[in-house]
Amino acid sequence: MADTALSTSIDNIAWLATLILHALILVLLSSTLIIRHLRLATDRRRKAMVGVWRPILAESLIEAPASLPSIHPRNRVLFLYLWNHLQESIKGESSEKLCAIIRRTGMDAVVRQYLAKGAMRQQLLAIVTLGHLKDASVWTQLAELAHADNAFLSIEAARALVRIDAPRAIPALVPLIAQRADWSPLKVLAILQDAGGELVARALGEAAQHAPPLIAARLIRFLASIRSHRALPLVRPLLGRDPLHEDVLASCLALFGQCSDPRDLPVVRQYTAHPTWFIRLQAATALGKMGVEEDAAILIGLLNDPHWWVRYRAAEALSMLPTMTDDKLSLLVQTLPPGEERRVLTPFVAKRIEAALAASPSIPAA
Amino acid sequence: MSVTHQPGKPTLLMAEDEEDTASLLRFLLERSGYQVVHAPDGKQAQQLIDTMPAPSLVLLDIMLPHISGLQLLPYIRKKPEWKQVPIIMLTADSSEHDIEQALASGANDYMVKPFNPRELSARLSRFLKPAV
Repeated sequence: MADTALSTSIDNIAWLATLILHALILVLLSSTLIIRHLRLATDRRRKAMVGVWRPILAESLIEAPASLPSIHPRNRVLFLYLWNHLQESIKGESSEKLCAIIRRTGMDAVVRQYLAKGAMRQQLLAIVTLGHLKDASVWTQLAELAHADNAFLSIEAARALVRIDAPRAIPALVPLIAQRADWSPLKVLAILQDAGGELVARALGEAAQHAPPLIAARLIRFLASIRSHRALPLVRPLLGRDPLHEDVLASCLALFGQCSDPRDLPVVRQYTAHPTWFIRLQAATALGKMGVEEDAAILIGLLNDPHWWVRYRAAEALSMLPTMTDDKLSLLVQTLPPGEERRVLTPFVAKRIEAALAASPSIPAA
Repeated sequence: MSVTHQPGKPTLLMAEDEEDTASLLRFLLERSGYQVVHAPDGKQAQQLIDTMPAPSLVLLDIMLPHISGLQLLPYIRKKPEWKQVPIIMLTADSSEHDIEQALASGANDYMVKPFNPRELSARLSRFLKPAV
């Protein structure tokens, strides 16, 4: 009898478990279907929104549309994505025409709200939008956000400040540019390019003169990346310092190479014989950009350098010398004695030939 | 991707993968009276080059999926009937090397994105008579 009772209990448990399992499967299936339905509805809503607004925004680049549809609160973020994307695809007076649209729809007030108390995504969108709108009324909030720990928020706030008023923003941003190692260098370069060459050259060049060596080197590397010729008179005196920090020297050589001012050529040549390998490397790279025919001899000498990277960059520089032709380089590699010098230069000869072929590639017919 | 020629309208082949930019370019060009044939990647552009009659102008993005604009350039220039077609390259940045290579390979002009709609019209008018 005890056995029968036990068997009934097991049966009941088994039935209950089966029921629970089926119920769970049903719940999972229903939720999958609901999620899918919601997703499709969202996609349809997005497509409808883009279908309505994309032509209106494009038309507004030419002339102001007579009337504008209202924007449903749940479409606001999507509208802002669309608007910002278009804003970043164009330049010139059309940008101001797009700004007029955002003011007519009242979305400028919405983005200010997003900036003050939105979620992270809304706040980021607000920062970018307000930058395009050149809205100086939010300057203080953006200046505070430029100091935020979050690198995404802070660098976008910095960019917005530059878009609003570059001469006011750059002096305030230089200390941040010098110290924020978490800021993407590419984004910093985009900010500096937005700000304009003269302003950046003066601000970064002067800051480099008074900064500790590692920060000065970082600032000069940014100047090199934007090929700031205007910064050269501010940077050249740094080479006269005693002691001269090697990182500062290396970044100065990078700047000289990028700007290729013939007045800096004697200095660059002089540092190809420096005892520190990465100074010789930077000097060789710079020489490849600004050197003349006679500098080939210096670079050929560096093909025997004890450090591999110097040999490699010297070979690359030789192949890039403004006076170097394909024929001259092919002849040069044949005259080098078999060994490391020839080995390190050969790939660059091949690269030049490959580049020449790339100009007339044969792609198969479709 | 089928091409129906509308008589009286000059045709432009636009190879551009970025949807928003392509949509904006199409709007601006169609508004100026051109018929736009759009290829969203290099492969489709190559197919169009093989099948459609030579257009009045080609707008060719340098960075295209599958086959780059720089690879398509000499391919276009090898086709006798496309030899004289003006080609304007679109580039996302002012990469001097790409621009040099494009001009050396037969491009007639280039335009850097982001672009000014007026600049686009000015560059097109260098090569095309105003559309009807």
